[in-house]
Amino acid sequence: MANSMTLADTENAINIRNLTKKYGDFTLDHISFKVPKGSIMGFVGENGAGKTTTIKAILDLIRTDDGEISIFGTGSKHLSMEIKSQIGVVFDGSNLHDNMNVGDINIIMKNIYPNWDTKKYEEYILQFQLPRKKIIKEYSRGMKMKLSIAIALSHHSKLLILDEATSGLDPMVREEILDIFLDFIQDEEHTILLSSHIISDIEKIADYVTFIHQGRIIFSESKDNLIYQYGVIHCPKEEVASIDHSFIVGIRENSYGADVMIHNKDAFQRQYRQYVVDRTSIEEIMLYISKGKERIR
Amino acid sequence: MKGLILKDFINLKKNLKIFGGLTVLYGVMAIASDDTSFFSSIFVLLYAILTLSLYSYDDMAKWDVFAQTCPISKDNIVQSKYLMMLLLTLLGVVYGSLFTIIINIIIKSDSLLNGLQSIGAGTAIVILFYCIIIPFITKMGVEKARLILFAVYAIPFVIVLAMNKMLSNGDFVVPEMLIKLANTCMEYIYLIVPIVVIIALSISYGISVLIYQKKEF
Repeated sequence: MANSMTLADTENAINIRNLTKKYGDFTLDHISFKVPKGSIMGFVGENGAGKTTTIKAILDLIRTDDGEISIFGTGSKHLSMEIKSQIGVVFDGSNLHDNMNVGDINIIMKNIYPNWDTKKYEEYILQFQLPRKKIIKEYSRGMKMKLSIAIALSHHSKLLILDEATSGLDPMVREEILDIFLDFIQDEEHTILLSSHIISDIEKIADYVTFIHQGRIIFSESKDNLIYQYGVIHCPKEEVASIDHSFIVGIRENSYGADVMIHNKDAFQRQYRQYVVDRTSIEEIMLYISKGKERIR
Repeated sequence: MKGLILKDFINLKKNLKIFGGLTVLYGVMAIASDDTSFFSSIFVLLYAILTLSLYSYDDMAKWDVFAQTCPISKDNIVQSKYLMMLLLTLLGVVYGSLFTIIINIIIKSDSLLNGLQSIGAGTAIVILFYCIIIPFITKMGVEKARLILFAVYAIPFVIVLAMNKMLSNGDFVVPEMLIKLANTCMEYIYLIVPIVVIIALSISYGISVLIYQKKEF
């Protein structure tokens, strides 16, 4: 057990075990998942599902009630300054002061991050076409996001943690930002945890997907595996009852019959040869699980 | 730490420019009234108020959330705030002293000592004020701590007013011992005040660090 844990920790950038955080009306309920090194993990779920709470726990911004989190094999509460300087974080808002410009930010970050790379920062400012004279207050949301990303990438980060970094941006800017992430991940030592409720972004770039729903992890698997394992069948409503419930993820009924999302596709097809199993998407899987009539897992 | 201090000074850039204008204004007023003692300490207070602005700027930007993700310890974040408060007060003292000296030379007044004493008193009051208020700001943010701030301002006034009234009514006679104690204190005031300030700073800092360590963002 101890061996497997050590092994897992060298393989994973982030390892969360049984994380629990109770609020009055919401509980992050014993969640566990791993973000393998060198991958992009898409962290998806509806608003209020617990994505930000999880990210805050990873970053030690909140006290937790139970569980452990390690980053690069070290407990998240005991990260050395060296490890912290290798983590780039982008939040939903920019978290930077309104009356500063890109030059001011450079001066500050140069004195905060021991590994700050002014040249790289300047390159990103140029690439993102961020105005030098303007103060952050005058920036659009997209510009603010790009500035935050430029900061996160300018101190030789090995791990990027992005909380809703692409939401609220127009498709052009989002595309541009996703390309930057794909570029970043070319180095196999680099890892990204990207939380978003825009599933199309996750489908585009993620290697793994973790789905959180009402404070619980529904699945945390490779994207290819998910698309391969899940499928949708169409059948008359009355036939649904005859299907082994352990296969059923969710059901949507309409006037023509029922659409049933199943998982464990291979085993299902061996048992029920009469049904054609259609391919599905991450978005559909999420919708069936969170909005479907029945959820059996 | 250096980054945090720089961040605060960059944030204050605009405010510091306004001070140039205020210096001229107060200079003219001091010359016109032939007295510098009031205007000497006002710079200490003005600089000190900037500490509150720093907290406001950080709260508005939600800077602390970002700062936690940087290679900076929580203790460092609290330290930087106390250091900025002391630096700004020191700036106020230097600025106020220079102002007092220059105006005294211009108006050829001999109220220099008064002016410098008033700066000293102002400095002690400002630091003690922040020693009380910073733990509250650390706990609840500057917006919510505002009420406490007013209370801290108001309580000494209320006490002094109440005592004044009691004394003038003759309801209360100050015991001999208390007067003696007050006189002894006044004798050693230049020793007592710095010691009180240092003790208050240590306690306040200790409390703020404890609060910040447990704070959720």
